[in-house]
Amino acid sequence: MIRALVLALLLTPGVASSQDLAAGKDLAVTHAEAWTMTGNGKVSDATIIVHDGRIVSVTAAGPVPEGAAVIDAGGRMVTPGLMNAATQLGLVETGAADETNDKSSSNTTLGAAFDVQYALNGNSVLLPVARADGVTRAVSYPGAAGTAPFMGQAAVIRLVESGDILERPQAAMYVQIGSATLSAAGGSRSAQWQLLRNALTEAGRYQPGKPDQPITRLDAEALQKVLGGQLLVILTQRESDIRQAIALAKDFKLRVALMGANEAWRCADALAAAKIPVILDPMDNLPISFDQIGARLDNAALLDKAGVPLAFYASGNTIYLSYDAGEAMREVAGMAVANGLPYETALASMTRSPAAIFGIGDHYGTLAKDQDADLVIWDGDPLEPGNYPWKVFVQGREASLETRQTLLRDRYAKPAALPPVYQK
Amino acid sequence: MKGSFSTAWLPVIALAIACSGAMAATPGKARHHPPVKPAAAAKPPADFADQKTREHPLPFMLGGNPSTYKPLPRQDLLITHATVLDGAGRRFDDADVLSRDGRIVAVGHNLDGGNARVIDARGRWVTPGIIDPHSHDGTYSMPLTSIDDESGDVSEMSGPIAADTWIEHAINTQDASFIYALQGGITTLQGLPGSTPQIGGRAVTLHPIPATHVAAMKFPGAPQGLKMACGENAKGYFGGKGQKPTSRQGEMANFRDVFSQADAYRGMWRHYEDEPHGPPPPRDLKLDTLAATLDGDLLVQIHCYRADDMAEMQALAHEFGFKITAFHHAVEAYKNPDLFTETGTCAVVWSDWWGFKMEANDGIRENAALLDAAGACVTMHSDSPVIGQRLNIEAAKAAGAGRHMGLAEPPEHIIKWITSNPAKVLGLEDCIGTLAPGYNADIVIWSGDPFSIYTLADTVLIDGAIAYDRHDPAYQPLSDFQLGRKAGVSQ
Repeated sequence: MIRALVLALLLTPGVASSQDLAAGKDLAVTHAEAWTMTGNGKVSDATIIVHDGRIVSVTAAGPVPEGAAVIDAGGRMVTPGLMNAATQLGLVETGAADETNDKSSSNTTLGAAFDVQYALNGNSVLLPVARADGVTRAVSYPGAAGTAPFMGQAAVIRLVESGDILERPQAAMYVQIGSATLSAAGGSRSAQWQLLRNALTEAGRYQPGKPDQPITRLDAEALQKVLGGQLLVILTQRESDIRQAIALAKDFKLRVALMGANEAWRCADALAAAKIPVILDPMDNLPISFDQIGARLDNAALLDKAGVPLAFYASGNTIYLSYDAGEAMREVAGMAVANGLPYETALASMTRSPAAIFGIGDHYGTLAKDQDADLVIWDGDPLEPGNYPWKVFVQGREASLETRQTLLRDRYAKPAALPPVYQK
Repeated sequence: MKGSFSTAWLPVIALAIACSGAMAATPGKARHHPPVKPAAAAKPPADFADQKTREHPLPFMLGGNPSTYKPLPRQDLLITHATVLDGAGRRFDDADVLSRDGRIVAVGHNLDGGNARVIDARGRWVTPGIIDPHSHDGTYSMPLTSIDDESGDVSEMSGPIAADTWIEHAINTQDASFIYALQGGITTLQGLPGSTPQIGGRAVTLHPIPATHVAAMKFPGAPQGLKMACGENAKGYFGGKGQKPTSRQGEMANFRDVFSQADAYRGMWRHYEDEPHGPPPPRDLKLDTLAATLDGDLLVQIHCYRADDMAEMQALAHEFGFKITAFHHAVEAYKNPDLFTETGTCAVVWSDWWGFKMEANDGIRENAALLDAAGACVTMHSDSPVIGQRLNIEAAKAAGAGRHMGLAEPPEHIIKWITSNPAKVLGLEDCIGTLAPGYNADIVIWSGDPFSIYTLADTVLIDGAIAYDRHDPAYQPLSDFQLGRKAGVSQ
């Protein structure tokens, strides 16, 4: 029985449209339920016109330009390609195999200056997995380092099938405050905050060329960017630390976002007033550390109610940061909705909102004129487990949904005269 | 090739199992296993009752805490107008479920509940209680601290053969993980030792209702499991310290060595049993456990990832004559379903955890669906309190991956992956995991389709008693740890 069904599966929709697009044709996605993420809900029976990798228009029952390649969405839901706001895609492939793990550095003098952009591997087999689950953009952020509280600088990547995946280097500086990195800062979170404040102060008065300054040139230059308005993401959980983050943003006039932030709901109004967005995993509901006593499933809903912008990621004991980064993020978004978050806000927290937070909102995150044509046509509600993209487009180009994992599946499920090792 | 060892593994003591939490009230009621007495602390566990008749009982199964579990206060219940998945493959629409004295009496339409309290479940779904066959709740205990880094209770790490350890001796019953599991519809879970040692020790089957001692959480009469592990963990940890094993072949040598010793030890005790002259042989607690395994008295639960590792372990089991109840994690099981279908071994799998180490590189989401289609016994598991709260969604993801490749199965089939199939892994398939007359009234009333992300467990019943109710604070337990702290539990 398996065999017949798998063969049926392999008759996947043709890729004629890709050839058409390669020939420079316009693309028209017709009969779409378009969730534009522009704050107006969905457009039913939408026609989405794409020219040269960008969206031209999204109109209800709009006409198809002559000569355009047409994809009939058949009423399926269409969203912008999703953006995961915290991954280690391109940095980690097999986490336990050090050779494939570039997320952090423990034995260099690089602290704030550590920058993941130089390690990004566009041929990681984990990128197609995320893309086949609807992710076309992601933040790849550094791991905890030996230079706590500094983790380093993150990059925004685009999940194109070939070519450079780096979209926006140095999209944010990351620091981690709290029990997870206490020992590296001498055992106290006070030391963590003081080290951070002191480093910002020293970076501000760093004088190029002058010897024996209390901060390295590389770290000073990196932190000067933060003082100049680069996003500072503070990975922290406890209410007291979240309030410290708010104070830090005010004192140094920084642009701050929180990550993790399990207890952020306790200071939702203060975060909204300070215009500090929160990057969170809605699945985080366990008191897994003393910093997370207040974790709860409706953290996202409570923050949204107070007016705090949200962006989603999924951790799953850190597994989902690298593996199934798309599937898992959709799952946790669904959990946020199950616990009170409006549906459209959940979608926005995987599209428009992370795009705005990480500085690519001018060309990605909504289905609107001049935006990159990152589109996902879904076979069902993307927040329900087991639903998948029917088609994925990155910058107007249809991407294959084949992954190493689907190849493994088919190799062992398909009948063949020769052993599986001959099936490719 | 078989050695000279006895291959007679007895069909476990499952026959003596007692689903005793429910305490069958009416003798003669249709029931295919004997009614049970409530366990008394002074008596040996019910499991070992058969040994009492022997003058010089074999010591292999002695030890541990007799269950003192008692069901919560309860009344007879008639759940009406629900979509019922019975856990054994059947679906009933607009149906009723009647429980009396902690047992299921009937599933059907327009049931007469007599004086039973009626719960209107119109528009809602009802399933058996969810069973997690792989939990570390109580030892991977929240909150984790630096103390756990130094000496956690998940595994005894002093050597690769920790066969003398019983995980029930370590259970922190106030771990809030139990309560989060309960809120997600889990009514029974198997607490397993960790997978760093090759033989991690004896498991324990629990209800997730925190008490002051593990004995009061123990599923009365449940068979005992044995945790083993193959692959990267043991050789990585012990090998990294310059100890044996440093390799997979070293692991296998260790296994064959200790099972050989156990076979000889068992022979020595059997000889003493037949001719009880002089002092009894000296006890060896590690060999007790392994002798019990060879006797078929422990359900063997093996952590394995790679298909070749699982084949090696089946060969080991064949050589020494024991049965492997389940491979856990089993991310490459789909590569060789014969390892399961030919032996009756169950596959205890995740939906989408893979890749984090070399032996996990080849995991696929269709693993469960492919094994299921091949006829293997498949169950989901948690291994972590993160997903130990939502095995229904784990099953939904795994089933969705199957559907996506053309292996669509209806909800009444998929529910087996988290009910009647894991009941087999625990040796409790005649007690729990199915809503049918005589089974324990472990029931979840869901707000909707349990395989939708938007669905929550409304009411969770264990042995016919309400253990959790999403709408009634009186039935929302709070761990001692969280009490008095500003806990984040939603009210």
